[in-house]
Amino acid sequence: MGADIKALRTRIKSVDSTLHLTKAMGLVASSKIRKSMLAMTKSRDYAMAIRDMVDILASVNECKKSPYMQYRDTGRTKLIVIAGDRGLAGGYNANVFRLMSSYPDAEVIAIGKRACERFGGEVNSSEHFSYEEARALSEKLCKEFADGEFDKLGIVSTEYVSMMSQVAKVTWLLPLEENPDSVTRSMIFEPDELTILNDAIPEYITAMLIATLKESFASEVAARRTAMDSAGKNAQTMIDDLRLQYNRARQGAITQEITEIVAGGGD
Amino acid sequence: MTTFNLVIASPEGNLFNDEAVDISLRGIEGDLAIMAKHVPFTTSVKECDVYVTLPDESEKIGHTKGGLLIVSEDKVSLMSGSFIWGKYE
Repeated sequence: MGADIKALRTRIKSVDSTLHLTKAMGLVASSKIRKSMLAMTKSRDYAMAIRDMVDILASVNECKKSPYMQYRDTGRTKLIVIAGDRGLAGGYNANVFRLMSSYPDAEVIAIGKRACERFGGEVNSSEHFSYEEARALSEKLCKEFADGEFDKLGIVSTEYVSMMSQVAKVTWLLPLEENPDSVTRSMIFEPDELTILNDAIPEYITAMLIATLKESFASEVAARRTAMDSAGKNAQTMIDDLRLQYNRARQGAITQEITEIVAGGGD
Repeated sequence: MTTFNLVIASPEGNLFNDEAVDISLRGIEGDLAIMAKHVPFTTSVKECDVYVTLPDESEKIGHTKGGLLIVSEDKVSLMSGSFIWGKYE
C-alpha cells in the first residue's frame, strides 16, 4: 500500500510538471498570435496588390510570350514545402507532410526545420526566413523555370482559416494562369507590358512566398495554442483522477492502520 | 500645392501612406518624377534613391533595390520589398 501511494505521488508530480509545461507553451503561443496575425495580414495585402497587377498584365495578349506563361508537360514539378521549426503543434506539420504524399515525384525545397529533417536540404527556419532569402530563392527558381528546368512551381503550406482550423494547401505560382476575373485598366506601361511582367515575376514570387510563410507561422502558433490548451485540459483530468486514487489509497492505509491498532488493543 | 496620395508598400506593411507633392526615382527607362494628376501609368523601378516631396516642402529620401511603380487615378503606389528610409551610402 505504501509503495502504491508513493508511485501515485510521483505520477501526480510528473503530470503536474507536464501541465506547467503545456501552460507555458500555450502562453508563449498566445503572446505570438497577435503579432503573427498582423504580419500575415500585412504581407497578404502586399502580395495581393502585386497579384492584381500581375493578373492585369497576364491578360494582355502580348504577355502570352512571357517565359513564365509557357505550359510544358514533362512532369517536372518543384514544390516549396513550408513546415514549422518545432513540434507540439497538433497536426500542423503532419498535415503538410500528408499533403506532400500526393506529389511523390516532385522536387522539394524545404523551409522550416521539420521540413528540412523530413525532405533534406540545408536547415533553415520558417519563422525567421528573411525577405533577402526569399528574394534569392525566387530569382533562382524564376531563372530555372525560364530555362525550362521544370514545368510547375507551387508552395505547400498551411492556410489559416480560424483559431481552431488550419488547412494544408498547395498554391500554384508558375506557369502564370490568366485570371478571367481580372479587370483591364486603361493604363500606360513603360516600356511595355511584357517587360514589366517579366520584371515583376521574381517580386511576385517573393511576395507570395513571404505571405505564405507568415500565414503558415500564424497557423502554427494557433495550432500550438489549441494543442497546448487541450493537452493542459487532459493533464488536469489525469491529475484529478490520480488525486482521487491517491486519496483512496491514503484513506485505505489509514483505515487499515486504525483497524490494526483497534485489533491490537482488543487483545 | 496640389498633392496626391502616395503609398510605399512592402511585405511588412505600408512604409508611407500620406499626401505628397512629388516622387522622383529611377524607372527602367530612366529617371522620372510623378506629380498629382499624372495619367495612369506603370513601370518597373530600378535600384535607386527615392525622393519624396511633402506638402510642407520638406523632402524624405529612401532607397529601393527595385520594385513596381503604379500610378492610378486616386493614388500612386511604389511596391518594393526592399525599401529603407535614408540615403544609400
